[in-house]
Amino acid sequence: MAARVIVRDLRKRYGSVEALRGVSFEVNEGEIFGLLGPNGAGKTTTVECIVGLREPDEGSIELLGIDARRKPAEVREKIGAALQTTSLQDKITPREAIQVFGAFYRERAGTQALLERFALTEKADAAFDTLSGGQRQRLALALAFVNNPQIVFLDEPTSGLDAHARRELHSEILRMKKDGCTVLLTTHNVEEAERLCDRAAIIDHGRVVASGAPRELIAQSASATSVFLATAVPVDRAILAALPGVEDIAEDGPGVRFRVSDVTGALAQLMGELASRGIAINELHVQKASLEDVLIEMTGGAS
Amino acid sequence: MNGLAEQYVLSLRLYFRNKMGMFYGYLFPAIFLLAFWVLYRSEPVPVWRHLGQLLTVTILGGACLGMPTTIVSERERGVWRRYRMTPASTRALIASSVLVRFLILITAGLLQIALAMAIGMPLPKHPFDLCIAFTVVSFAFLGLGLVIASMADNVPSVQALGQCIFLPMLIVGGVAVPVETLPDWAQHIASFFPGRYAVSSLQACVNGIGLGKSGFDFLALFLIGATGLLAGGRMFRWEAGQRFSARRKGWLTAVAAAWAVIGIFAEAHGSAAAKPVAAPRNAPPTPRRIATAPEIPPPAPLVSTPQAPEAAAIPHAKTWKEVTLAEINANVHWRDLPPDTGFYSPISPPGIPPPDDLKDQLDQLRTNLPLWPLGYVTDPVQRVRNFLYIPAVTDVLRTEILESYVPLVVFDQLQKDIPKDDLVKLLYWVATHPAEGDDTAASRLDQLGLENAPPDMDTVRERVSTYALKLLGRLTGKIR
Repeated sequence: MAARVIVRDLRKRYGSVEALRGVSFEVNEGEIFGLLGPNGAGKTTTVECIVGLREPDEGSIELLGIDARRKPAEVREKIGAALQTTSLQDKITPREAIQVFGAFYRERAGTQALLERFALTEKADAAFDTLSGGQRQRLALALAFVNNPQIVFLDEPTSGLDAHARRELHSEILRMKKDGCTVLLTTHNVEEAERLCDRAAIIDHGRVVASGAPRELIAQSASATSVFLATAVPVDRAILAALPGVEDIAEDGPGVRFRVSDVTGALAQLMGELASRGIAINELHVQKASLEDVLIEMTGGAS
Repeated sequence: MNGLAEQYVLSLRLYFRNKMGMFYGYLFPAIFLLAFWVLYRSEPVPVWRHLGQLLTVTILGGACLGMPTTIVSERERGVWRRYRMTPASTRALIASSVLVRFLILITAGLLQIALAMAIGMPLPKHPFDLCIAFTVVSFAFLGLGLVIASMADNVPSVQALGQCIFLPMLIVGGVAVPVETLPDWAQHIASFFPGRYAVSSLQACVNGIGLGKSGFDFLALFLIGATGLLAGGRMFRWEAGQRFSARRKGWLTAVAAAWAVIGIFAEAHGSAAAKPVAAPRNAPPTPRRIATAPEIPPPAPLVSTPQAPEAAAIPHAKTWKEVTLAEINANVHWRDLPPDTGFYSPISPPGIPPPDDLKDQLDQLRTNLPLWPLGYVTDPVQRVRNFLYIPAVTDVLRTEILESYVPLVVFDQLQKDIPKDDLVKLLYWVATHPAEGDDTAASRLDQLGLENAPPDMDTVRERVSTYALKLLGRLTGKIR
């Protein structure tokens, strides 16, 4: 699959603040790619540079094989974006907005089709200032699709939405992928990234600190799997330490907690040891690390 | 580009959905028109001599306050940020905003002209020239508006910046107060503001010679507009958080330089001296103030008083009976009399019936006047003086249109009561002796259903002289 977005060594400085310190990643055709990171990590600046709202100080951006920094107008024809802190006039209606924004492009999606697709038919002729947060966000998405874009950029698409609206938006984003669109979204919500993204890059302090499929990220992560064990009689630490791939053994309430990379191997051995000593198990929990653990591990310590 | 056309139409539609915008864009100019009409109500043709000022106010308000408010509020909301993600160029969108406003200005201007014509103003003399002047003035002020839009961080600062341009221009820039009536120092200041050039080029198309002599005005307006649009376009910020860089500030200097160059050039070439924009035969166009405001002194001595050396040719009479026509003709400067259509001592032209609401009051005056005790005092000089207090006080009090009809009633009565030859001499005597006599009559006007005199008797006495001369002129055939 061809890379649709290639970002290399993007740098951007605002006065004395280095917002981006060499961001590089690629997004493949037809995938949903997430830029994940805490607030202020540089996600929004990255997207703004890619869609041409900001001029990066250094670095290259290639979209659909076109040098975006050299030919921004050509690129804009083919991409769509819904960014934060972007709004519309109070008295504009969704129908007018879709029509007028569509008119800026050579290729153009049908207004009615977009209104239907983004569930805005009922509010098609209502003023913008009467729309709910979810409806406004759906309109922003509809505007990102007025030119039948090949890549769509969504900056924190679900922030500020309630759980219901968020779920609706998730299925809409998954549908974009099904329709063959490449999606790049930013989020600080790990659950969202795990649910939606084929691949993600974790950004922190203006750098990509890790990237890959969420599962790979979790597997790569030092967090691995955590195991909690409570037994009738305390287990000798030495027995645990001797298990393959076990680290970070620590007392945790009535039992002990440790991380392990090879869960099956370690637990098989552990069971044998416990059985031979006749120690009864009261509790045993095996917990896979979440992307959130990965994110905290990768960004939390440094911030 | 199709997109820009649709965006243009949409911007207009959105404008007409915004009540506040409509208020400032259309109602405000209409209110200004009414205000000028009332202010200059004694002029024979309503607002004819002030249309240039009115149109300038309209353009100034729409271009320097209305347009930047729209642009900055859209920028604050992130609309410009959204536009910037489309293939449309920001410059083209700025141009679209300016053109949207231009169309609004044109319609507001037409509305103002239509309203003015509805209250009696004739069609401007040079309508085609007026369109050109209107466009050039709009160009200048839209340029300024764009600079304001680029400089202002938010909507309140648009108001602050806009008013910094709007108010001085109105007051000392020759827009609300005509430049000819400004004090000298203010006329020099006005040279540095585009307002006066706007007013003079527009007014010349309404009742002057058209654009024939508007070359410098146009040059000034064009320069201000061009630097404004250029600087505004360069300094334009499409995002609320964008900083104002030093390079951008450099453009501000360019705008200021254009203003300075125009002002200095105008000062150096004497264009700053008030040039009459219209036929100057009308009254000094000092705006009327409220009734209690101090009155304007007459522009020149109307009569050579005994102290005036140049009048020595014909000796002044010692008593009123000795007054001769020769002395009158030698000493009275008829041309310096304020016109009947002017701001003070107005007299309604013959044959025009008073408005219905004044009929009763005038009838009451006509009935009571022959019975007024002060009209029968024995001293004929005092008697004439008493009569003349009636129009003089009414004029000083500015009792609406009444003041231009009262003199006619009083003149009639005087001519009925006093033989013409005597009346001529008495009027001249009263006019040349303004400081003499008893002014009790000024505070007995309530007996005639009128208001009594204000405390400022000097002004009243001066008006007595003026009305005396106006009647004198009529009697001697000097005023028709």
